Amino acid sequence: MAHPEPAGHEEEEHHGSPWPVIIAVGMGVGYVGIVTVSIPMLLAGVVIFGGGAGGWIHQDMQRPSSAFYGLAAAVESRLPQVSARKLGIWLFLATEIMFFSAIIGASWTLRLRTTTLGDAFQGPWAQPGEILNVPLTGLNTFILICSSLTMVEALAAVERGDQRKLRIFLLTTLLLGITFLSIQAFEYQHLYFGEGLTFKSAPFGVNPLYGPTFFAQTGVHGSHVTAGVLAMAYITRKAFKGGFTKENHEAVELVGLYWHFVDVVWIFLFTIVYLI
Amino acid sequence: MATATATETAGPHEESRKRPYVVVFAILAVVTLAELNVYSLGIPHLETITILVVLATIKASLVVAYYMHLRYEPRWIALIPLGGLALVAVLVAALTATSAHP
Repeated sequence: MAHPEPAGHEEEEHHGSPWPVIIAVGMGVGYVGIVTVSIPMLLAGVVIFGGGAGGWIHQDMQRPSSAFYGLAAAVESRLPQVSARKLGIWLFLATEIMFFSAIIGASWTLRLRTTTLGDAFQGPWAQPGEILNVPLTGLNTFILICSSLTMVEALAAVERGDQRKLRIFLLTTLLLGITFLSIQAFEYQHLYFGEGLTFKSAPFGVNPLYGPTFFAQTGVHGSHVTAGVLAMAYITRKAFKGGFTKENHEAVELVGLYWHFVDVVWIFLFTIVYLI
Repeated sequence: MATATATETAGPHEESRKRPYVVVFAILAVVTLAELNVYSLGIPHLETITILVVLATIKASLVVAYYMHLRYEPRWIALIPLGGLALVAVLVAALTATSAHP
């Protein structure tokens, strides 16, 4: 079965790279460091991981993007074809759904059980707007929605072969992501030092578990946005180097999928943490 | 020859140009504005929560369907996130059941 090979690909492209193996080794060493509570080993893992990721990015930056249908070829006869990489991203996002559900579920359980938690954790949950600045975060939500629009417009641009708009929209998405994180950093700083919402205590007699659940839920989301911003910076740089074409631009689509997913998570988090 | 190739590849891209990205964005923005003002309606707490959850679900569905292109992908791809959501349903059910009898 012939796959839609990108135009101009006369010969089979070599996809082999040693860097993913080095990344995996780094993660392995790092996890051993965590399990054995060995800081040097954890740091060694982080260094190996970082070196592997840097090497992989450097290697990828040197050549134009290409479509890759490896795994999809095996399931093609039964199911309509989807690229292996897109399938991988969707599977990863499914695990992310479960990850965020665990964090949100744990926080929600604590919230529902504030009366049964013992003397150290007495006090009601904060009302919407009592501690958190809802209008400011409403603005931040709007910024994230705008970034989803610019991201999808970037993909539409490269699908048309419009390099100029691809670069403009990716750069805009990157800047909107950085703006979101900056506002969140300002919010954290204000809440922690201004309002006295910490990991151990809360103002206005609010339950002391309100702080840790707030920072856990919005923090893991913020770290995901940070990862998205790093990925965005990477594909934006590659776009400015002319690394994506009308035929080969799957990385733009895949980073976009992750970016929109982080937006979807925020839609629920904003409702659960700020509005309810 | 070159012209023929260009015409062939124009098909899917013409289609993608028609996708309602800006319309979806407008709906998302309006619904977000509505969410911020739900409390000014002065309706009871439980109803307010229900409205907020429904609005959030509408927004998330629009992003997944149009921006993440799930609407345009082969149907079976939707089974992957639905698998994750199935486990979420189990979690919510378990939490609800145990929270009712603390």
